[in-house]
Parts: sequence; C-alpha cells; structure tokens
Amino acid sequence: MSHGILEREARVVLALGRRALTVQFRRAQLLMPTFVLPLMLLAVISSGTSAAVDLRGFPDVASYLAFMVPGTVVQGTILAGLTAGIALASDIEFGFFDRLLAAPVKRTSLVLGRLCGTLGLAILQSSFFLLVALAFGARYPGGAGAAVAAVAIAAITAVGVGGIAAAIALRTGSLALLQSLFPFMFVLLFTAPAFFPRELLAPVLRDFSVLNPLTYVVEGIRALLNGDAGLGDPALGLLAACLLAVCTTALSTGALQQRLRRT
Amino acid sequence: MSVGAAPRPRAGAVVVASWRRALNEVLRVRGALLPATIAPVIFMLGMTGQFSRLTDLEGFPTDSYLAWIVPLSCLQGAGFAGAATGSNLARDIEQGLFDRLLVAPVPRAVLLLGPILGAVTRCLVPATAVLAVGLLLGAEFTGGVLGVLALYGASIGFCAAAALWGIFLALTFRTQQAGPLMQQGVFLAVFLSTAYTPEALLRGWLAGAARYNPVTHVLELSRQATVSGLEPSLANTLPGVAALVGLILVLGGLALFGLWRIGR
Repeated sequence: MSHGILEREARVVLALGRRALTVQFRRAQLLMPTFVLPLMLLAVISSGTSAAVDLRGFPDVASYLAFMVPGTVVQGTILAGLTAGIALASDIEFGFFDRLLAAPVKRTSLVLGRLCGTLGLAILQSSFFLLVALAFGARYPGGAGAAVAAVAIAAITAVGVGGIAAAIALRTGSLALLQSLFPFMFVLLFTAPAFFPRELLAPVLRDFSVLNPLTYVVEGIRALLNGDAGLGDPALGLLAACLLAVCTTALSTGALQQRLRRT
Repeated sequence: MSVGAAPRPRAGAVVVASWRRALNEVLRVRGALLPATIAPVIFMLGMTGQFSRLTDLEGFPTDSYLAWIVPLSCLQGAGFAGAATGSNLARDIEQGLFDRLLVAPVPRAVLLLGPILGAVTRCLVPATAVLAVGLLLGAEFTGGVLGVLALYGASIGFCAAAALWGIFLALTFRTQQAGPLMQQGVFLAVFLSTAYTPEALLRGWLAGAARYNPVTHVLELSRQATVSGLEPSLANTLPGVAALVGLILVLGGLALFGLWRIGR
C-alpha cells in the first residue's frame, strides 16, 4: 500500500474514532455505567473484603485499594469494549453503517475506526479510575511512569475486548443481543485474579485463570502500580493485551467480510 | 333506546389484567429473562471463585463461601427483576400508554399493583436458578424448609421494594434513561451491606453503612436457608421482616406520591 493511501486510511480511522468518542460523550448518561459502576464495585469490594490482608498467603502490599484497582481497570476495559460493540450494532440497526460502507475507503478502516474510539475511551476511563482511587487513599509505589504504562496496557486490552464485541455486532447486527451480553462478558473478569491473588483463588478457577489473557493483564498492571515484580509480569501483560487486540481485530475484520458477502 | 353507562371495572380485574400484561412481556419476548437470570448466577460463581478463602478468616460463620453468597445472589436477581418494573413503566409513560391508563375509572394505586405482582412472579425465576446452581455446586439447605421459605420471602419482599423504587424513579423522571439509576440503586442497597463478609469482619466506612442499611437484615433473613451459623429463628427473622415492611412502606409512599403528582 502506498504512503498516500496509508495516510488517507489513518485519517479515516482517526475521524471515525473521534466520532465514536463524540457520540459517547454526547449521550453521557450512557457512559455512567462504564465510569461509575466499576468504581462502585471497587468501593464495596475493597471495603467489604479488606480483612483478606490477614489471610495466610496474601501478598504484603502497601495499599489494599491499590491491589484492587487493577481489577477495576480491567472491568473498565470490558465495559469500554462492550460499549464499542453496542455502538456498532446501533449504527448497523439504524443504517449509518451501510452509508459508511458506500464510502471509498478500506472496509478494515471502518472497524479500526470504531476500535480507535474504544482506545480513547479506555485511556480516559483508566486514568479516571486511577485518579479517583488515588484521591481515596490508594498509593502507587510504582510511580507515575508505571501508572502511564498501566493505562496503556488497559487501553490495548479494551481494543481486544472491543474486537470481540465488534465481531458479534457485525455477525448478528443485533443491538438487543449486544445489550444483553453484559453479564456474559463478566465471565472474562471473574475467571481472572481480578480482585484476589491467583494463589488464593478457588482451585478450579485458579486452573482456569491460566487460560484467560486478562489474568496476565491484571497481574501486569498490579505489578506496575505496586512496584512489585512478585505480583505479576508487566511484559507478559503487555504481550497478552497485544495478542488479544490483534486476534480479535482480525476476528472482527473477518466478521465484516462475511457480512459483506452475505448482504 | 337509551345507552347505559359502561360497567365500572372492578379493581381486582384491572390488577389481574395488568399482572398478565407484565408477564406477557417475559413470555412473548424470547430470551427476555435470560440476562436477568444469568447475571446473578455469573456473579455468584465469580464472587465464590474470587473470595472463597475469606472463610478462613476467624469469625466467618460458615466454611462454605458459596453458602454465604447464594442468598445474596438470590436477592440481587430479585432486586434487578423488581427494578425492571420501573424501566417498563417509564417506557409506557414515554409511549403514552400510561396516560391512557390514568383515565381509567379505577383508583390510581391499582395501576401499580399488577406490574409489582408481575415483578414478584418474575423474580422467582432468577432466585430459583441461583438456588439450583448453588445446590448443584455444593451449597446445602442447612435451614431446612423454614430457611427456604425465609429465602423466598426475603427475595419476594425485596423485589417488591425494588419495584416501588423503580416506579418512584419512573414517575419522577418519566424516561427510560433513568433505568441505570434504578439498577444502581438496587446494586448499592445490596452491596452496602454484609454482602461479602459478616459485620464483624467489615472495616472502615462500609461497617457503618452496613449497620444502618436495612438490606443487611434482609440478607440475614435469607441466609437462614444456607448458612450453617444462622439457623431459622425469630431473632434472625424479625429484623429482616421489619426491614422489608419499612422499605415497602417508605418506597410505596414515594411511589404513591409520584403517582399523585403525575398529570397534575
């Protein structure tokens, strides 16, 4: 592909990403669950289970809240990704996506544009979560650089989850189905050590968590924020996030091709 | 030929008709109950998997975290089923149907009874699904028949309270966009309690919130079914019943106030 075409497609992706974000923020009430629900869950879980630090085998952490925040960040990535799928399904149902298909741009850019919006949303959302937790007493011994890296890993993960949701949206075109996916996406969260160390999970879950890429993401973010390599491997977290994003973007692009062949 | 006045509908018939209408929404929309049923089951499994080792803490009344979480998930499912009544009412208000119902020659409060009964009937599905999955995975009916009755009573009462909360918000905001507020109200009520650990193990602000949250007592009422340290007794039952009656009276009063204001 020539440099000019690449530049044009990048402009399309950015414009669609900007549109995705603008539409989200124009209907701010729809963002409330994405921004508020994970914080509510963080508040009740961190306070309700804080006695867990007395358990044998619980890692020695400077701040229990900072230990829990990565679970909230990952929960946010799931919601941001799902939001992308819902918005795409809405565009399909109301005909906007068909108009986009008539534009003289690569079809892949239409999917990437939507996921670009998810990336932006996840950056804002993860930063917001980290700042709110900081205001409520979380301490990040890893420092500001580690927090920025954590936000980056979270944003890439959101693209990965967004890819799954976009693939389902493109395959089914059903807004109602995407809206009802909310509880099912939480399986991804609960099968990772989102709020507890992997060693202290129920044995079945501990075995299963090895297969969940979000396990490595949440542990990587936890290690970064707490400045403790014993809590996880940030490089593995980044790798898991990137692999998830690449695979699911390919999945959603494939779903788009299938949709085009069908219609 | 003189034209006689149409017979005035009996309140009971109106209640039954609107109850059936509320149930039709579930029967005619394929899969309508699925997310509401699956969500509490997933939360139950997820929370149990994550926090099962909390039972190792000194002072935890049972050695099965699943047994601790099953009643919570039943209440959660029932609460969400109740709050959905508000979303449905808001939709009827937005689409103009409720305006037509308001001119019916029956007391206004009667219009709310059918949807509440519909919610209470619907809530039995998630509560039973959670209970069945919990039993399959090893939770036990330590409280026997009385405990199960307490669990279902608590779920039904909490569903009715959540429905009144949803109705109050629907009559106040008159838009379906208030839906998340209805659900999150239920979410907060359930989780600002002894949801994860008993009161003795709560720390910080949540300990205070749980002490004054009536849902803590409702949870205690429902936990008589599966938690071995909480046997069915009047002492474990009466606070929960009183909390439910109080919630229904307060939220019912608010819903009636909203109903009184609408159209004036």
